[in-house]
Amino acid sequence: MINLAQKDIAHSLGKFIVTSMGVGMLLGIVLIMIGVYRGMIVDAQILLNDLDVDLWVVQEDTLGPFAEASRIHESLKETLRAIDGVDKAGALTFQNIQLPATPKPVRVVAVGFDPHGSFNAIKPERIIAGRTLQRSHYEIVVTDKTGFKVGETIKLGRNNFKVVGITKGTVSSGGDSLVYISLKDAQELQFSYSNNRIRNDKARGIINRDSHMVNTIVASLKPGYSNDMVANAIRRFKHKSVYTKAEQKTILTKNLVEKSSKQIGMFTAILVAVSTIIIALIIYTMTLEKMKEISIMKLIGIPNSLIIKMVVQETLLLAFIAFIFGNIFAYLIYDKFPKRVVLEMPDAWMLLIVIIVFAILSSLIGVKKVISADPAAAIGG
Amino acid sequence: MSEKSIRVENLIKNFGEGESLVEVIDGASFSIDKGELVALTAPSGAGKTTLLMMIGCVEEPTSGTIYLGDEKVYDNKWLTKETRKIRREKIGFIFQAHHLIPFLTVLENVTLVPQTNGISKKDSEKDAMELLKYFEISDKANATSAQLSGGQNQRVSIARALANKPEIILADEPTAALDLKRSVDVVKMLKKIAVDQNVAVVIVTHDEAMYPLCDRIIKIENKKVISTEVNS
Ligand SMILES: Nc1ncnc2c1ncn2[C@@H]1O[C@H](COP(=O)(O)OP(=O)(O)O)[C@@H](O)[C@H]1O
Ligand SMILES: [Mg+2]
Repeated sequence: MINLAQKDIAHSLGKFIVTSMGVGMLLGIVLIMIGVYRGMIVDAQILLNDLDVDLWVVQEDTLGPFAEASRIHESLKETLRAIDGVDKAGALTFQNIQLPATPKPVRVVAVGFDPHGSFNAIKPERIIAGRTLQRSHYEIVVTDKTGFKVGETIKLGRNNFKVVGITKGTVSSGGDSLVYISLKDAQELQFSYSNNRIRNDKARGIINRDSHMVNTIVASLKPGYSNDMVANAIRRFKHKSVYTKAEQKTILTKNLVEKSSKQIGMFTAILVAVSTIIIALIIYTMTLEKMKEISIMKLIGIPNSLIIKMVVQETLLLAFIAFIFGNIFAYLIYDKFPKRVVLEMPDAWMLLIVIIVFAILSSLIGVKKVISADPAAAIGG
Repeated sequence: MSEKSIRVENLIKNFGEGESLVEVIDGASFSIDKGELVALTAPSGAGKTTLLMMIGCVEEPTSGTIYLGDEKVYDNKWLTKETRKIRREKIGFIFQAHHLIPFLTVLENVTLVPQTNGISKKDSEKDAMELLKYFEISDKANATSAQLSGGQNQRVSIARALANKPEIILADEPTAALDLKRSVDVVKMLKKIAVDQNVAVVIVTHDEAMYPLCDRIIKIENKKVISTEVNS
């Protein structure tokens, strides 16, 4: 039997392909949107996974240090070490800073850790040039995306920092590039004030501000101790909020990314709806353009089923080719985005299913036109 | 006694109802034999196309009876849900315009209905090529209608009407757009087909020059159908 859809498409192939490409670009953007969301989830966990500690101790009643601000005294580190089950403890700081780069400053998150302490915040395999921090002062390791090279100096606050290492793929939970400085430098940047401010404070009677604050104390446990048990012990005695790695992961992926995921979800839903409407419109016009031929076919006795098959097959083919173009498009542009975009096959398959279902539904508009076409209209007049 | 191919009894056709009621055919009774070429003629708007489409099971009559061959297809209502099946199996349609499907080739246009009737691609193409040869257009089998001249398209459309080996050919003003010589050619060709294939052919025409080529003239006058023999 002659396949009418195939013949019709072959007859206006260029138009069909250009149309599919147009719809494909929309679907490509849908895939990118989903990829942005996936990228956010990956980014949110990079620091958490790089540090790979068991417990996060933060200021009481906060979801710190990533989802909420947290301040906690550095000395808690010593106290934690005394708790049964705690193997190692270390202090960390996180702060947003602007790196004075040309042509314009780069916003980064600075991670402060003690180069001589228990935890190295920089995973060795992340380093692509230079080395990790070794001195307690004025060294900085930066992410490659900041554009700095080993050996350059960066002025932060009152001091010059020397770039000693470059990492790759390290971003904050918000997707900003990371830099690493020593805990002491970080504390000075975050908690110390200018000479003028100190003079002012002295005049007002405020003296000796404590700069030995950090954002979190992290701890790893001895083998055989459960995270939850030790976490509960710390909570009970120390009036701090304590999160296990798993809980911190939930905070990052749920609380932090949730709003964005709703935002992106809305965008994605709207784009899918727009794509569906466009597919429906295309099918409708394609059917409308063929009304005369459809009437003739009905008049000479071609059954509806054959004509409907043509409309439905054309719709499905349009959706499928658009899906292929969408994927090609998404793969061509995804790494051009400033933040991480993660394209995953399951997301693409989901989109394919959704688009095929909607395409079938929208082809019903064309099918309705076919059924209502009047064979006598073919020769009308 | 020749076999009846079309038999119509007391056929009535009105459009609309109440105030807007239009009576088009008011009680037509006639029959057409196999092998007979009949001209259907009447002024414009008198109901020629309507009558042709009722015989062709496209337009539903208001009341009456229609037989096609031995089969009673209409008796105050269609006697089958599948009027389209009757059309594709028993009837060949020819129109003033060729009405070929533009996205199909000549060969596909001619084989579409036979293949729908279950004839294999191979057999239908073999039959179609014979028809196209008969109409001297077999070299254009793989062209589309856009690549053919008006006359070539008209011949393809006649080939399409014959491809399902119909019992009846209904041609609605097939010569209206043609000059006299071509018109005579088409009508002579239809007469030859009527005789060779033993089918009933009804052609709608205003052209009196065609009458001598036909076996009979059927006129619609004052909503009634009048049949006159041609004695030439
Ligand atoms: N679908 C319809 N609805 C209402 N009136 C119609 C319809 N089709 C045809 N008619 C009317 O029926 C009459 C006969 O039309 P038609 O059979 O096309 O005439 P002809 O083919 O002889 O020119 C005309 O008056 C026309 O207006
Ligand atoms: Mg007419």
